[in-house]
Amino acid sequence: MRVELEDLRFSRGPFSLRGTGAFGEGVHLVSGPVGGGKSTLALLLAGLLSPTEGAIRRHGIASSLLLLQFPEYHITGSTVAGEVRSWGLEPDDVLVQADLSRRADDDPFRLSRGELRRLTLTCAILQNPDLLLLDEPFSSLDCAAKRKACRMIEGREEGITIIFSHEQAVLPRVDTISEMEAGALTGLGGVPGAIPRWRHAPAYLRYVLEQGARPENIRLADAREALCRTRG
Amino acid sequence: MQDPRLRLAAVTALSVAAFSSTAGAVAAFAWWLLFTPRTRALPRPGLLLPLIAMIAAAALVSELGGGAGLSYFIRMTVILLIAAWAYAATEEGEVLAVAVWALGDRIGFEIGLIAEMGLSGLSVIRQEIDQVRAAMALKGMRPGLRTVVPLAVTLIVTELRRSEEVARLLMVRGYAHGGRICPRFRKGAWDIPAALSALIAVILSVLPVGDVFILLGRSF
Repeated sequence: MRVELEDLRFSRGPFSLRGTGAFGEGVHLVSGPVGGGKSTLALLLAGLLSPTEGAIRRHGIASSLLLLQFPEYHITGSTVAGEVRSWGLEPDDVLVQADLSRRADDDPFRLSRGELRRLTLTCAILQNPDLLLLDEPFSSLDCAAKRKACRMIEGREEGITIIFSHEQAVLPRVDTISEMEAGALTGLGGVPGAIPRWRHAPAYLRYVLEQGARPENIRLADAREALCRTRG
Repeated sequence: MQDPRLRLAAVTALSVAAFSSTAGAVAAFAWWLLFTPRTRALPRPGLLLPLIAMIAAAALVSELGGGAGLSYFIRMTVILLIAAWAYAATEEGEVLAVAVWALGDRIGFEIGLIAEMGLSGLSVIRQEIDQVRAAMALKGMRPGLRTVVPLAVTLIVTELRRSEEVARLLMVRGYAHGGRICPRFRKGAWDIPAALSALIAVILSVLPVGDVFILLGRSF
């Protein structure tokens, strides 16, 4: 499985996006500031926008799914259980995993943004598409829910997962890092080699690098471990 | 037209003319052809065509029921074109400026602020419709009658929540009522001729045009 961006260009009004690169099987992080073009790239990769120039080639991908930045746009069911069914899933297991077992009969609009995020994220991951695109999957989540979301993302055994996020506190283990800034996509390469080149790295990673440590991955636990190794 | 006061006056006159009679609608359409960027001021076909289709459906029902369906279709379509141009030509802050100029710092500011929020809400709704349609497409739901209800529910709920947030924000910032701004207006070379021409459409809409042509025919 592979997604290739061949001299991709997209323009809408004053905003333009450009990028070249490829995403293979594994978990990929596309980082960058708000307004840099991450959501637009996600829509392009999902096939919901068409490139102005260039192309996006998919190889060996039978199914794809994009989780939108604002979870309320996904709602089509009149109850939480109905919402899960609208994703083609059985509610029981999904609601347990999303910690929403007692909310099955509630109106999904009665859920908080965080609860709704947990619900849609769980549905998207359990659908297990070949290409899973997650636009700001950690927004509105507390630290415990973010860690759980990271475990679920890391638990995907196959397929391509691309996370578009400016998250700076809780991140999953990833295979590659790219940066999206002012509409330009820059691939930094595989982890751990890409970490020192990552300009939008979280503060804890920058601190660890300043201390001369070399973390194996981008999680806080990896940073801690690298520091321990350096300091004995 | 650059001056929003003259634009508002022209839009009001043209809407009244188009609504009043078919002759007024034809005159308003001629005005639209002469003084606007025409098709460049129209929304995308995905938004415009369903609106025209709705007008056509209502006109057809009226025509089949013995009413003036064709006249209704012409008048409403022209009003739609004028409204689309007015919306496209309006810049942020103009409605507030016109309302304060016309009605003062208290009532004018209140009305202008509400109108500004309404207009900005329209562009937000357009973006939200795109997002919801994208989300439905991701679930494999095709646009149709089955998707209208969830789409409408999502839009209503998100708009109510946004209104609540804006109201809270205004309260937190200490807004009670009214406000002071110093509106300034630019005027284009064609603003006054265009506004005066809009009045011709109003005159034509109330004038018994058919009688005028009969009288002219008799005199020759």
